[in-house]
Amino acid sequence: MTVQMTGKMSNWLLPILGLVAGLYSHSVAAATPVIEIEIKDHLFHPSEIVIPADTKVKLVIRNLDPTPEEFESYELNREKVIAGGSKAVLFIGPLPPGEYPFFGEFYPKTAQGKVLVE
Amino acid sequence: MLLSSVILVLQDTLEAALLVSILLAISYQQWNRVVWLPFGIFAGMVLAFLYASNMSEISEWFDYVGQEIVNASLQILTALLIVVCTWALFKSRQFDAGDGQPQKNRFASLFVFCAAGAVALAVTREGSEVLIYLGGFFQQKEYLQTIVAGSSIGFSIGLSIGILLYYGLLSLPSKWRLNTPVILMALVAGNMLSQAVLQLTQADWISSTRALWDTSDWLSENSILGQSLYALVGYEATPSAAQLIAYIVGMLLVLASGTVGKYSKKHIPATRRTPS
Repeated sequence: MTVQMTGKMSNWLLPILGLVAGLYSHSVAAATPVIEIEIKDHLFHPSEIVIPADTKVKLVIRNLDPTPEEFESYELNREKVIAGGSKAVLFIGPLPPGEYPFFGEFYPKTAQGKVLVE
Repeated sequence: MLLSSVILVLQDTLEAALLVSILLAISYQQWNRVVWLPFGIFAGMVLAFLYASNMSEISEWFDYVGQEIVNASLQILTALLIVVCTWALFKSRQFDAGDGQPQKNRFASLFVFCAAGAVALAVTREGSEVLIYLGGFFQQKEYLQTIVAGSSIGFSIGLSIGILLYYGLLSLPSKWRLNTPVILMALVAGNMLSQAVLQLTQADWISSTRALWDTSDWLSENSILGQSLYALVGYEATPSAAQLIAYIVGMLLVLASGTVGKYSKKHIPATRRTPS
């Protein structure tokens, strides 16, 4: 499709499209590590996860409680509501090494955890 | 539980209240129009209820990132409505007779229509989160009283700050009375687009990059000041380049649409046009 359209495209548009396509294929081609977390009794299991530095990671969070929870982290810039008994997906990273706390905003007293980037 | 419910509801209320105050201050100041507000809020409450009650299903859309996509769409649409509002505001002022009397015209109507839309979308996003939060405690009644008390306090504080801002904007000296709310609209639009980019990054629809800088040692997003600035102007301690660009684009769009509205040709109705 790109080849057919080439004739109509201005000179500046192609490199941009190429860059976007490159970024996209790169993000698809590199296998994204998946980390699974469960929420039960307003606690995260596991509450500590370790991920490699400078790598994008897919978090799959299953809320086993009947009540909703909100995954929140200021350090990771992430925020997502997870309805009771449902599954959520969110992506984090690439991150520099360090400690990134997260918590359940609806039950912050118990629902605490952190991502260790090494 | 009490404090966390105060904070959660305060954050959500504040973001919506801020937008309401700015738009209401303009529409009241320019044309004495306030009736659009209850319509916007009511529409937002209905949409918030629908969004909250279908959250489980919506979250499963697009491979479990439906929530991010819907939120980003609402935020982008809100920013665009603010841009149209700004254009309509300056366009409408071309018709002022100069006697200090508010001139009602179709641009004023466009402003209030878009303002009601922007408020409705903001209430949808923030309201649905509060509804889901409260809904959970209606299931498990253990903390219900505490949560309802905390939420009421949070809502009241948010509302009070909104009212203060509204009267603050109305009492500004006349040379600041127009520009201040317009600058605030630019900040809100920038914030909306930046948040939309963040949502799309979280969904992996936009490639994630390392943060441009880290000011968390200097001003943590966890602190009261950090949280207030987050609600007011979208403060992020670790923004990405895409977020920063989106913020600047949002601000420039508002300022540009205001300038275009102000200096574009005044449209003269065909019936009054004199032959040349």
